[in-house]
Amino acid sequence: MMGVEIAALMGFFGLTGAFALVGTVLAGWMAWRIVEKAGLPGWAGLGAILLTLTGIGSIVPLVLLWVFAFMRWPRDEPAAGTAAGFAPAGRPTGGPHPPTPAALAAPAMALADRRGWQLTGTLAGGGMVALAIDGTSGSYVITGAPAAQASDLSVPDPSVGKPHARLLMAGTRLGLEDLGSPGGTFIDGARLLPEHGPRDISGARAIRIGSVELVLSRT
Amino acid sequence: MTWTWLAVLLGLGSFAMAATMTIVLIGYLLMLLVLIIPTWRICTRAGFSGALSLFHLVPLIGPFIVMAVLAFSAWPNGEAARPLISQGRRS
Repeated sequence: MMGVEIAALMGFFGLTGAFALVGTVLAGWMAWRIVEKAGLPGWAGLGAILLTLTGIGSIVPLVLLWVFAFMRWPRDEPAAGTAAGFAPAGRPTGGPHPPTPAALAAPAMALADRRGWQLTGTLAGGGMVALAIDGTSGSYVITGAPAAQASDLSVPDPSVGKPHARLLMAGTRLGLEDLGSPGGTFIDGARLLPEHGPRDISGARAIRIGSVELVLSRT
Repeated sequence: MTWTWLAVLLGLGSFAMAATMTIVLIGYLLMLLVLIIPTWRICTRAGFSGALSLFHLVPLIGPFIVMAVLAFSAWPNGEAARPLISQGRRS
């Protein structure tokens, strides 16, 4: 008896069989996850899939697919980095060093922890690298070239760009900005792109610069 | 006389069938383009190869494969669900 009711309900929604039901549920679940990864609410993706069950048919979901593909995703908004107190900095202009970023905004509240930061890791050749960020400079440049200035942090590895990324200090917080190096910059496994701007890495554990894994710790 | 009419009708029938199939095929290809173009862009923005969207060419399960890759694997270009800013985790 129950099966008849389920069949009637499925027929009402245009689901012709178990495969259609499973397919719709699966598609809704995956659409939920995809739009969430782009920074949009998951129900928007689920709703787009469920629209195919209505009289509107598949035209509206197709339009929504195009809108989703070409719209600006919240994931790409640099607002998060700005809100964290890191002013967005300009892109490198091709010189030996990128321009110094604008003055960093003051932290929202004073923090008692005045320790510095340290990035340690192992190079592909087996050597160790230890980068000390003591806060004497507001901005440090991570580069594969030998350090030319006090604010240069050299990581002698072929996968590291010259320059590769910029570390920013704001109060006791540490920020990281990718400078567009092809080797890539990763924070806890997630890729940091130049358009993301400076991101707060105070709570991060592992930073990857090119192929060099660095562990972030306090000194 | 009857055989002549039958031959004409059969000829028209096969022509109509071929025309219908051509129209259906063109419609199918247009539909694929409508799906593949935005999916290509979504894949590249996520950090995958745009060619992943060509799975739409596989009937029935193709769109599910593309969606599954996008939904269940880590996006190389970063995700909002796995924010690059690690909040609340202090060393």
